[in-house]
Amino acid sequence: MPFVRRYKDLSTNLGGLYTDIVRELQQEKDLEIVKETNGVINDVGFRSVTAIRATVPRAVTGTLREVSVTVAGEPDDWILELHTGAWFGNMVLPGAGGFLIAGPVGIAAAAGTTTLLAVTYGRKLKNRIKELVKKHSGKKYTEEKVETFIS
Amino acid sequence: MPTVKRYKDLNTDLEAVYHDIKYELQTGKELNVVKEQDGTVNGVPFKSIFAVRESVPKALTGTLREVTVTITGVADDWLLEVHTGAWFNNMITPATGGLIVAGPLGGLAASGTAAVYAVKFERDLKNRIKEIVKKRSKNPYTEDKVETF
Repeated sequence: MPFVRRYKDLSTNLGGLYTDIVRELQQEKDLEIVKETNGVINDVGFRSVTAIRATVPRAVTGTLREVSVTVAGEPDDWILELHTGAWFGNMVLPGAGGFLIAGPVGIAAAAGTTTLLAVTYGRKLKNRIKELVKKHSGKKYTEEKVETFIS
Repeated sequence: MPTVKRYKDLNTDLEAVYHDIKYELQTGKELNVVKEQDGTVNGVPFKSIFAVRESVPKALTGTLREVTVTITGVADDWLLEVHTGAWFNNMITPATGGLIVAGPLGGLAASGTAAVYAVKFERDLKNRIKEIVKKRSKNPYTEDKVETF
């Protein structure tokens, strides 16, 4: 599920923020940036980067498949969207012993301990982006300037 | 939310299904296939294809951003996953007058009529894949051989 945040009254350097986010994705060895989109939509600045897993995963279920980060708006009113996708994420059911996996990929979970899981990576990236927003904002970052949309 | 289906006892030519799906993605005028993965995961054949929107969209909210299709398994027991991603989909709230979009993107929804919407694309692709699975399976396709997650 994508994670969307609206930031207001922060005077954020969106170009600088976006560049640092791209750098974060480039530093992750399992990811490959496949698309960057940069333009204006109805006079609103828009930048989007998509990175996908570079190789066939060792395990399938829950492994990070793609990441997409989009920044749109103006320094004092902008939106960030972070999407992380996982292969067969909805076939992972929590059980007493770990995971219960249906279907022919069931055995793949056992090897998953060393893989880059989408849920872990998404959490890590969100925290890193928060640091970057603070770094690139001309005004003080406070929680009331941030609104989160999750559906 | 991705759609996952498990197909059993269909004796499906998975290679052919994959190539037909790839053709579908290649013929979508707004899409560009950027990555294909082909291998085995713990001895199970695995194929995945990834396509992204080629250009800056005219409208943002709900517009198709990426598509991933993955096939894994063997002819008589395999899984298909279809994921479509859309920009800012969770900021669209249905209202009596149409759509309410929060934030600085508010004005973007109005121009969205010509956009390729993820929800429509996924529906069309799923229907097309169903036809492809029927075509590429040697055993008769019946609903009880298909489980949706």
